[in-house]
Amino acid sequence: MAKPLIVCRDLSIIYNQGKSNEFKALSGVNTDIFEGEYIILFGPSGCGKSTLMYAIQGSLPPGEGTLLVKGDDVYSYPPAERVYFQRHVMGIIFQQFNLIMSLSVLDNVALPMIFCDRDKATRNRRAQSLLDRFGVGHVSHKIPAMLSGGQQQRVSVSRSMVNDPKILLADEPTGNLDSVSTQQVMDKIDEINTFDRRTIIMVSHNAAHLSYAHRVYYLKDGLIVREVVNPQRKQIKPVKEGETIVTELEQLARLFPYDSIETLRVKSLVNYLTQDYTFDQLIRLEKATSLFIQGKVDRKAFIKALVLSYERGGVEIPEKEARRIASVSEKMIKNADDIRRYRARKDNSGIFFSQHKLAERLKEHLLQVYRIKLSKEQNENMTELIADRVTGVTGDEEMNERLMKGIRSGGLALSEKEADDLTRYFEKVIAQGVDVSYKS
Amino acid sequence: MRIQDLAQLSTRMFKTNPMRTWLTILGMGVGTGAVVVLVGLGFGLQQIILEQIVFGESLLSLGVSSTGAQGLRLTPETVTQFEQNEAVLDAAPLARFPALVTYKGLTGNVFVQGVEPPYLRYAGITATAGDVFTDEDAGDANSIMISPATLKLFGVEDEEIDGFIGEKVSLRLLVPADDGTDDVNEIVIDKEYTVRGITAEEGVLNALMMLPELRNYVGIEEYERIQVRVDTNENLPLVEAELIEEGYRVTALSKTVEQASQIFQGIQAVLATFGGIALVVSAIGMFNTMTVTLLERTKEIGIMRTIGASPNDVKYLFVSESVVVGFLGGLSGILMGVTLGVTVNIFLNIVAGQFGGQAVRLFSFPLDFLAFIAIFSACVGYLTGIFPARRASTLNPLDAIRYE
Repeated sequence: MAKPLIVCRDLSIIYNQGKSNEFKALSGVNTDIFEGEYIILFGPSGCGKSTLMYAIQGSLPPGEGTLLVKGDDVYSYPPAERVYFQRHVMGIIFQQFNLIMSLSVLDNVALPMIFCDRDKATRNRRAQSLLDRFGVGHVSHKIPAMLSGGQQQRVSVSRSMVNDPKILLADEPTGNLDSVSTQQVMDKIDEINTFDRRTIIMVSHNAAHLSYAHRVYYLKDGLIVREVVNPQRKQIKPVKEGETIVTELEQLARLFPYDSIETLRVKSLVNYLTQDYTFDQLIRLEKATSLFIQGKVDRKAFIKALVLSYERGGVEIPEKEARRIASVSEKMIKNADDIRRYRARKDNSGIFFSQHKLAERLKEHLLQVYRIKLSKEQNENMTELIADRVTGVTGDEEMNERLMKGIRSGGLALSEKEADDLTRYFEKVIAQGVDVSYKS
Repeated sequence: MRIQDLAQLSTRMFKTNPMRTWLTILGMGVGTGAVVVLVGLGFGLQQIILEQIVFGESLLSLGVSSTGAQGLRLTPETVTQFEQNEAVLDAAPLARFPALVTYKGLTGNVFVQGVEPPYLRYAGITATAGDVFTDEDAGDANSIMISPATLKLFGVEDEEIDGFIGEKVSLRLLVPADDGTDDVNEIVIDKEYTVRGITAEEGVLNALMMLPELRNYVGIEEYERIQVRVDTNENLPLVEAELIEEGYRVTALSKTVEQASQIFQGIQAVLATFGGIALVVSAIGMFNTMTVTLLERTKEIGIMRTIGASPNDVKYLFVSESVVVGFLGGLSGILMGVTLGVTVNIFLNIVAGQFGGQAVRLFSFPLDFLAFIAIFSACVGYLTGIFPARRASTLNPLDAIRYE
């Protein structure tokens, strides 16, 4: 069995030991990280994930326990030799990029080689080839401040690789990046893992990244609360047969990264009790619905995606059900548009007439869905109620009550069941139609 | 880290923060400039004074005269005896007789001094007008030199000194009778001497002529004074001690020079202290700048440490930066100081020229002194940099990188 590259045993790190603000950042952490693995340290801020990474990096001596990298206790070496280890074994990427602003991009990348006494021609050639590889070769003569965040982070990735280290450490490398740059940087780091076969240890609190890793260590309050294996990647860590099994909990852990293992078990059970669909089906349904709502696919394509068998990438639900889903969604979207229009005009009293008309339309739709017939007075009250709810004058509970109230006191005198159904449905429509960041 | 990379990295501040860097250099420059100009003034003053009293061989000569107490007499034999000393190159005697000098019917009392030309060199006697006797003039029998005071006897004003060269005077020697009485024999020299030069000796009534010429008229048994030329500076005190031991009275010009030098070293020390205060002030300013730079660079230090810089790399970066600033400060100080000194000197000489004074070099900047200042300022830079640098190198990289 291959020996792990990094071993932590009962590792504890205490900040400000002996002072009044003493803080135990890590308490008894055990990890085995193997060569070529992609490990994510995941958890909320303050959980100790960065502390663990910097302890491995060689900047935070452990208070208790052992930390071995390549079988060596690096903290037993004097600082000068520890530096040698940092130069040749570790590369590091930061959230803040941490490029040196007074040096050109090329010099920034070459800087670790400067400390290794490499001559200028060699290090410039090496730096330029890395910059080219990560798609920032054309800006090598500029200073970092002239680059976008994504470019800076790719320069920083180049710098981390310049001494060809065994281990690449990344401290939330995409925390300061937009989604496009995040994708680029994550792809590059993945490439370093899969193509260059480097060990990656990444600190992250972005759940979307978890699928890249072989394994994810979940940390909370200085402890590793669980270790989750990614079933989608072939594992490097040797797995003894029968010792660990991959369960639904692993999948749930990636969906709900901040929940405890107990909550995940509950989720798993409740899902079975209340839903006809599995979590995988739900994820696919969400994806398809999202595309439909955004108008990226039409009704026909939407139904097709829902009906398609699971093996072929579909949700695999009966065609009748699929049609129902499509038609309800469509109606909701349409009505949601009316709500959006109504709210857009709410400050404009000059065209009150058309606003009234929108409320009428919403009313008609609601009555249609629930096949309720109303008297003239009920109709008037309903229109008023809808207008109040859409403008936000009344809340959802108040609306429910008013639906059940007598007609003379402005209500509709509906039964409790009717009122609940109506309120629930209308709330869904409102949720679709109200922009979260509406204008003040 | 290689030297050229270190140089490149530690001169970044000229690009990133040119204003502050140059101001720091200027601050150091003003401090060292003050030292340069003040010490330069000290050197200049010292040189002016020494130029006035030091004439080549006269520094290596001892003036020997008899104390008269132990019956020691300076005779031709004494001269030979002195010359036999290995450390003595030469001994030149001076014989002196009272005399009457007559110029255009005016007669006055003077001392006629018979010397050989080397004596004038050893004693440092120069001419304010006309020519001094040189070695070729040893057999001269027609000319004499007289002191400025003698001219006063003849009613010659200071401004007319130059006009007196070439005038003729006649002499009558007053020689004590050798019969034991106090009688004085008057020996009339029946010819006229041409005045070839006026000496620079103030306050004495002298007429200088060549010793052989004097011997033509009077037998010389005893000398007034003998100038002994010693071969090297090291032997000077030894010979001096020997002569004093033998009972002679010895005067040495070098002693006067030494005393003058001591005084000027004192003056220089005072001037250097004032300059030094300016230098200390600017060094403190530079120290402050380096400390601020450290705080500013804390994050950068953290970055460098985490990507592979050793604590020593960080230390060298800081120290070399402050040495560069210190050294450039020294160079600019030298430039400023020398420029100021030279300018003031030119200005003073123009003013002096207007009032008929002589051109002097009031400031002097010896090269080794300037080299010392340049090295010294680099050392000051090193000292102001070493403490911030040590602190920088001991920073925890993690704390440093999170510093904002």
